[in-house]
Amino acid sequence: MIGIVGSGIAGFRAAKAILKSKADARIVLFGDETHRTYSRPGLTKRRYPSSAALDLAIAQDLTVKGIENGALTWRLGTRVDTADLAGKVLHLSTGEKFDYDSLVIAAGVRPRTSVEGGGECASHTHGTLRGVDDAYHVHRELQAGKKVTIAGAGFVACELASLAKEYGCEVVMLEALRRGPFESVLGERISSALRRWIVRNGVTFLAGDSAKEQLCDRSMVSTSARSLYIEAIGSVPNVEWLSGNGLDLSDGVRVDEYMRVPECADVFAAGDVARYPDPWAAGSSTRREFWKNAIDTGDLAGRSLASSLGYTAKVSGIGYFPSMATEVFGLRIQIAGNPQVSDSLEVVRGDLDRLDHGVLVKFLREETTVGVASMDKGARFNSVYIEMVKSLKAHAGSVLVS
Amino acid sequence: MKIVVDRVKCQNHGQCAISAPANFELGADGELHYRESFDEGSIDDIEDAIDSCPVQAVSFESR
Repeated sequence: MIGIVGSGIAGFRAAKAILKSKADARIVLFGDETHRTYSRPGLTKRRYPSSAALDLAIAQDLTVKGIENGALTWRLGTRVDTADLAGKVLHLSTGEKFDYDSLVIAAGVRPRTSVEGGGECASHTHGTLRGVDDAYHVHRELQAGKKVTIAGAGFVACELASLAKEYGCEVVMLEALRRGPFESVLGERISSALRRWIVRNGVTFLAGDSAKEQLCDRSMVSTSARSLYIEAIGSVPNVEWLSGNGLDLSDGVRVDEYMRVPECADVFAAGDVARYPDPWAAGSSTRREFWKNAIDTGDLAGRSLASSLGYTAKVSGIGYFPSMATEVFGLRIQIAGNPQVSDSLEVVRGDLDRLDHGVLVKFLREETTVGVASMDKGARFNSVYIEMVKSLKAHAGSVLVS
Repeated sequence: MKIVVDRVKCQNHGQCAISAPANFELGADGELHYRESFDEGSIDDIEDAIDSCPVQAVSFESR
């Protein structure tokens, strides 16, 4: 019996990989959400028309296919409260126990929040955005044209701001710690340029102390109608249920390059929660919260597990190379490699004051390229960008980042 | 088998063009162009392109 904790794309792909090696494998997949696996990036990618069954419409639109009905036992709406990895048993929120032979930990992350719990204060309806149910509430409020205040200026925050403007809402973004969007990834110069782009598109963007003043600790008293307040200030790995088993849970679940949990035979981890040896930076480990990372690590965890049971499966160390894309007010932003470890940048094409006309940037660390990025309303320099990514990937293995 | 891109879902993020540049390309205007047919040798690239799409717009379809 194989247990998979987490019904997101990493758990789904682990199951799919196991079934590919052993079509009649007995797998139970636990998810605390009530929806089958869906495309999480899709939650903030486009508007939905108003409808009475908006949650179902979103879930259906984004459902991931590729595992036939009946191949898996889905235990949705079921949380795993604790695990006894030595005794190989999970304790479920229903009070049941689940005995397994092999386990995949794909429990993901949850949004970081400044105040516990959701709910309402005098001024705001508070929320975060991670699952379909969150997205349903957010889309519904945005459809009503409510003003939205967004704490944070990362990927989720920027996509949400863009989406809210498309719905016709008034948008305020608060970045208390830094000066602009993506600053910790792309640096100050690009962050300032992106901030100008967002402001040009009608968002009120407050940074530093003026943002801090507007952050809501839910103690404000106001008589005005409640507006929407979404915190998008990062995430926290879901590992509490694993405590007491002697695992390294300092930042997610530590695994080896085959997604095996080293302290515990027959236990694997994948997706946003898994911290693995960085294949592109010898000696350091990495934990990524990207769609393709969840696919690659989930797939590998499934293959490693299948191989551990003696089934035929191709197993090789994780080779995920970071590459991602987002769109913010019509501006396509593509990022590859590890720009966050750079110490300088070089504008290869275009002008940072005119992002929408196309800009290519190289990020350097001691004169070696460690990351690249492209911003453009169209894709004028796309073939050059692809060559830059290719070259970065070819040389990345030799760059010691740690 | 051929490649199909769901034009309703596609938002021209261009991740497929990074995974499999022989079959996918973003034009200067940012619109995705692609070739349906591929040879067996590039199937890994195409599968990577399918997985890379953040909006699940790319898939195989049997002819």
